[in-house]
Amino acid sequence: MRHGSGWWLLVPALLLLLVVFVVPVAMMVPMSFRPYVPLVGITDGFTARYYTRLLTDSYYLEIIGRTLALGFTVTLATLVIGYPVAFFLARTPSRWRSWLTILVVFPLMLNLVVRTFGWIALLAQNGLVNQALRALGLVDSPVKLLFNFAGLLIAMTHIFLPFMVLVLIGAIQNIPRDVEDAARVLGASWASTFCRVTLPLSAPGILSGSILVFVLTISALVTPRLLGGPTYQVMATLIYDEFLQRLNWPAGSAQALLLTLMVLALVYLSGRLARRTGARA
Amino acid sequence: MTAARARGWLLRAWVALVYAFLMLPVVVIALASLSRTSYLTVPPRGLTLHWFTQVLGDPEYIQAIGWSVLLALVATTGAVGAGVAASFALIRRRVPGGAFVSAVLNAPLVFPAVVVGVALLQFFATVRLNGTFVGLALAHMVITAPYVVRAVTASLQGIDPELEHAARVLGASGPVAFFTVTLPLIRPGVAAGALFAFIVSFDNVPVSIFLLGAGQMTLPVKIFTAIEYGVDPSIAAISTMLIVLTGVGLAVAERWIGFHRFV
Amino acid sequence: MSGAAPALSVRRLRKAFGAVVAVDGVSLDAAPGEFLSLLGPSGCGKSTLLRMVAGLVEPDGGQVVLAGEDITRVAVHRRNLGLVFQSYALFPHMTVQENVAFGLRRRGVGEPELRPRVERMLELVRLGPLGARYPRELSGGQQQRVALARALVTEPRVLLLDEPLSNLDALLRDEMRVELKRLQERLGTTMIFVTHDQAEALILSDRVVVMEHGRVEQIGRPEEVYRRPATAFVARFLGRANFLAGTVAESAAGRTVVALEGGALSIVAGPRSGLVAGQPVHAVIRQESIRFEPAGDGAGAAGANRFAATVVFHAFAGQAHHYVVQLASGRELEVSAPGATVPLARGARALVAWRPEDVTLLPGGGPEPGGPR
Repeated sequence: MRHGSGWWLLVPALLLLLVVFVVPVAMMVPMSFRPYVPLVGITDGFTARYYTRLLTDSYYLEIIGRTLALGFTVTLATLVIGYPVAFFLARTPSRWRSWLTILVVFPLMLNLVVRTFGWIALLAQNGLVNQALRALGLVDSPVKLLFNFAGLLIAMTHIFLPFMVLVLIGAIQNIPRDVEDAARVLGASWASTFCRVTLPLSAPGILSGSILVFVLTISALVTPRLLGGPTYQVMATLIYDEFLQRLNWPAGSAQALLLTLMVLALVYLSGRLARRTGARA
Repeated sequence: MTAARARGWLLRAWVALVYAFLMLPVVVIALASLSRTSYLTVPPRGLTLHWFTQVLGDPEYIQAIGWSVLLALVATTGAVGAGVAASFALIRRRVPGGAFVSAVLNAPLVFPAVVVGVALLQFFATVRLNGTFVGLALAHMVITAPYVVRAVTASLQGIDPELEHAARVLGASGPVAFFTVTLPLIRPGVAAGALFAFIVSFDNVPVSIFLLGAGQMTLPVKIFTAIEYGVDPSIAAISTMLIVLTGVGLAVAERWIGFHRFV
Repeated sequence: MSGAAPALSVRRLRKAFGAVVAVDGVSLDAAPGEFLSLLGPSGCGKSTLLRMVAGLVEPDGGQVVLAGEDITRVAVHRRNLGLVFQSYALFPHMTVQENVAFGLRRRGVGEPELRPRVERMLELVRLGPLGARYPRELSGGQQQRVALARALVTEPRVLLLDEPLSNLDALLRDEMRVELKRLQERLGTTMIFVTHDQAEALILSDRVVVMEHGRVEQIGRPEEVYRRPATAFVARFLGRANFLAGTVAESAAGRTVVALEGGALSIVAGPRSGLVAGQPVHAVIRQESIRFEPAGDGAGAAGANRFAATVVFHAFAGQAHHYVVQLASGRELEVSAPGATVPLARGARALVAWRPEDVTLLPGGGPEPGGPR
């Protein structure tokens, strides 16, 4: 329409993001190639060793592998656990639907530290989970659930479940009901309709929800730090220590950029996939 | 019963279990905060409110809460101002490279927060903003603005663009039309965006922890570092207070603006 | 409608969206107090034209002149025109009164003057007691009237209406047409009305502008555009008609004789300048211009403009009977007769006839567009 192009309205937000976001991230690139000398600091020069060791040293490879493994398992868990919930919330005619949705959002709004802290209480040696397991006679001695993969998996599934559910609700709501009805009338059983109609039509939502949870999982800092402790590392906690403990900014920058690259690659891939399945990213 | 009814009950049972799972840590924390013991134990042994009074009387906690609130307010204000303008420009005006701008505005949502934190740590060191409130506030505006943009965009898209045209034909200039017609109609979106922004800023750890200077502390970072040193019920107490506040805030938001439309 | 300077002029107005030319160098005038309709199918450019006049779309070329003043570059909110939107665009967060008062407030009209003006306007559109309601509490017809009141209360020099009646059901639409006409006569405001409904344009307008593909096909009084369409498009858009292809056999002072294709039939049209013998033409005859004559009528039996026919189809449509009749040559014609006449059954024989002045000749031959063969 005729009124001015209005680009100046974008200036504050764009300026903010360019100066306080894009530029700082870009500045990490040159930093990541400078050598760090302990007790001296960041010196001039050029080295790629912080990158090469990430890709060759088994210590780092283990951390990267663990981060990715967490990403996959948490994504899978949230998908399997969350899909039925999303289906219910998308379809239920109950008048409580908006409040039930809010109830799913509520943990998201809660402070992450608080939520993680709750899991510490639950997963500790004498925490509720172990107490319950002992009381039910399923185990004799406490199961180690802190500072290991199992504990992180459980806690992070909890943390990111609402994200998956919310994305899936949107996707399932977009499936026209009469398409499913048509399948039933044509003779498909409920299971068959679900597998051949509902599930494929919710694929775009499954994809975007999975990408979201995966990206959030591999980027997570707080939960892995509190539930994994200083020795059971993932990429984010590695970066945290690199910067604040070892003060090795170049190495930390390299790690941060690797993590960023992984995230951007995933987002880009999901965009391509979404376009191919005809979905809106 | 028929297969359909059985499925219905099965689904409902699953949903109930998942909700229980989601609420579990919340319940645990609330219970733990009441325990007489000086270590964390659930179910609580003995009941006391002693930890609550202790936390509320601790000047460090009070100061951290103050910082967090101030920071969140400043960040939210900036994010709302920039975000509403940006959203309006993207939806109601032709902007060259709109898709690119939109991508940049949404980027902080997917970007690893820890990367934002360390990038700003280095950047602020160069521009001498490290450890300042201004730097911290700017950082928080960056991570909260996308939420405002998303919520306001959702609101704007539901409003007939002809309303603005009608106002203009009737004699309202661009800004007047925005303030008399558009803004009142997107109020729910702005409110939801502001709420998101406030919460995201208030709760943030991965960015704040790298940027806090000497003498500065935000509540979540304080709790975070406290846990690293060892857990006791006082942490559970402050956590419970946060839970209650968030719950009340969310209920109010749902009542007033139908918050569930914006999540 | 002559003499006085036009209330609104559009000169060679042009707009293209990418490769699509929406408005292609359109010029027209609206006289003061005139009700002018822009009539055409969707996509013909009429709405774009209207919005350029309002200032909501920037023209690629041409001028918009309001009472002698060039307003092409004037901002939307300073043009002092009125616009009624197809969707009404009522402000949902304001009451009816506040909606109507909006334009006055923007002009700085003080409260003491504002209130009575709003009330009077609401009375005029017969919404007096509904001032405190919100748009969502009103019916479609009532919302329409609020939109009208809101646009008219500022006493604009010209009122623009963009298909304002399309969202109403048929009965309501008829009512609103009467209201609109009444308002216009009462207030004397120049009105420019966009519609795709030809019946509406004919009923309401002092003049009709028929548009297609961004161009003006014909401008004229309703009877002119209906009875004397300038092009085949106008003929077809204004209503169904019979198109008969033929060649001019004779063009004389009082009449033109056309020999029809495929047969030794000829029809006589009124005098028509600019046609020469041998020129291919289409003869356009509207259904209602053809009348039935009882078969035994001696005078003239079959001849020019009078043919023997058999009824092959009949439908009753309330106000009219629709027939398809077949002539001896096999050619079919659509005929409509008033609903009150005695219907003819299938197979009945009759004579069909029409007057020369009811035949419009359009130059150009080729296949008969639309219509029965």
